[in-house]
Amino acid sequence: MEFIDYYKILELDKSASQANIKKAYRKLARKYHPDLNPSDKSAQARFQQINEANEVLSDPEKRKKYDKHGKDWQQAEQFEQAQRQQQQQYGRGFGSGGQQSYSGNFDNDTFSDFFEQMFGGGARSKGSGRSPQYKGQDFNAELQLNLSDVFTSKKQTLTVNRKNIRITIPAGVENGQTIKIKGYGGSGIQGGPKGDLLITFNIVNDIKFKREKENLYTTVDVDFYTAILGGEITIDTFTGKVKLNVKPETQPGTQIKLKGKGFPKYKKEGQFGDLYITYQIKMPTNLNTREKELFQELQKLRS
Amino acid sequence: MNLNDLIAIDELCIRYKVEYTFIRSLSESGLIEMIRLEQTEYLHCDKISEFEKMHRLYHDLNINMEGLEAIQHLLEKLKELQKSNLQLQNRLNLYE
Repeated sequence: MEFIDYYKILELDKSASQANIKKAYRKLARKYHPDLNPSDKSAQARFQQINEANEVLSDPEKRKKYDKHGKDWQQAEQFEQAQRQQQQQYGRGFGSGGQQSYSGNFDNDTFSDFFEQMFGGGARSKGSGRSPQYKGQDFNAELQLNLSDVFTSKKQTLTVNRKNIRITIPAGVENGQTIKIKGYGGSGIQGGPKGDLLITFNIVNDIKFKREKENLYTTVDVDFYTAILGGEITIDTFTGKVKLNVKPETQPGTQIKLKGKGFPKYKKEGQFGDLYITYQIKMPTNLNTREKELFQELQKLRS
Repeated sequence: MNLNDLIAIDELCIRYKVEYTFIRSLSESGLIEMIRLEQTEYLHCDKISEFEKMHRLYHDLNINMEGLEAIQHLLEKLKELQKSNLQLQNRLNLYE
């Protein structure tokens, strides 16, 4: 476990006064507060570090201990642990400071292992200076699914905070989309409403089609002679094979649309997007002498 | 409207230890929407996260009401940009 330099996190030197610590903390909290940096995980992680640094440096007792042991904290820890056990035998637990720390409906209570090791799990300040909460905490979760999994609505059981929750994932959900499941977050405080569960989907494309919203896109090879003379080809759609008539003199890159053969429209049951097919003309190779002669004849006719 | 989904403003004042004038100011600035039913004012429970956010910014970060309005405006813009960015990223997959 690595040593954490709390002074560096708050951009302070070791002689910083309590007023300077408070000032530095406020300045950085305004910059990295999760309410001001939505969906920014790096800002949230930084904010947690800032909160933790403040927790230690603004509490004279914790700061003293931190300053005393510094980088040698691991060696000192064994000695401290023995001391703590001794203190507990005499009924004197580790006190918590009354410093201010910012709160929010986000996971800012995750302190580092370094903090937990050095100060113990119960060492963080509770309540004092924090915004009161009434509504339960919102839980954020990420769910990775294959694109083929979201072609139809399906029920899935998720485990959130050791509780199994059965949810319906609507067909057509998009990559990066977040859905809110009301009331599946943390319990409300003193009769307050429950928090919500927010699930963000990470959709991995496991099919041969590309997708944009409810439309699918693919490229199909058409042989040279069918492209010139026209004909019938069979192509794959997401739901099965389809026969297509290729018009004579079809040009490379021609795009056609198969209406309703795309992906399901989100929360519009029975409605589908379209499948766009781009023709890629496959030119003949390894021509024999006779074929070359015929092409030369054609060329003469055109020139 | 289901009454169970509404939280009385008086209740909010007690739970969050705030003055009624603070909630009134948030409402007047358009930052939250208060609902009046038979002389009682309420906040819809779906909007409580927004209220909590404003409360944190105001009380924890010492941002005044004008600052909250500016922040809310910028956050809405940021949300739109993030949404548009995601759509563009998803669209970019078509060309990869």
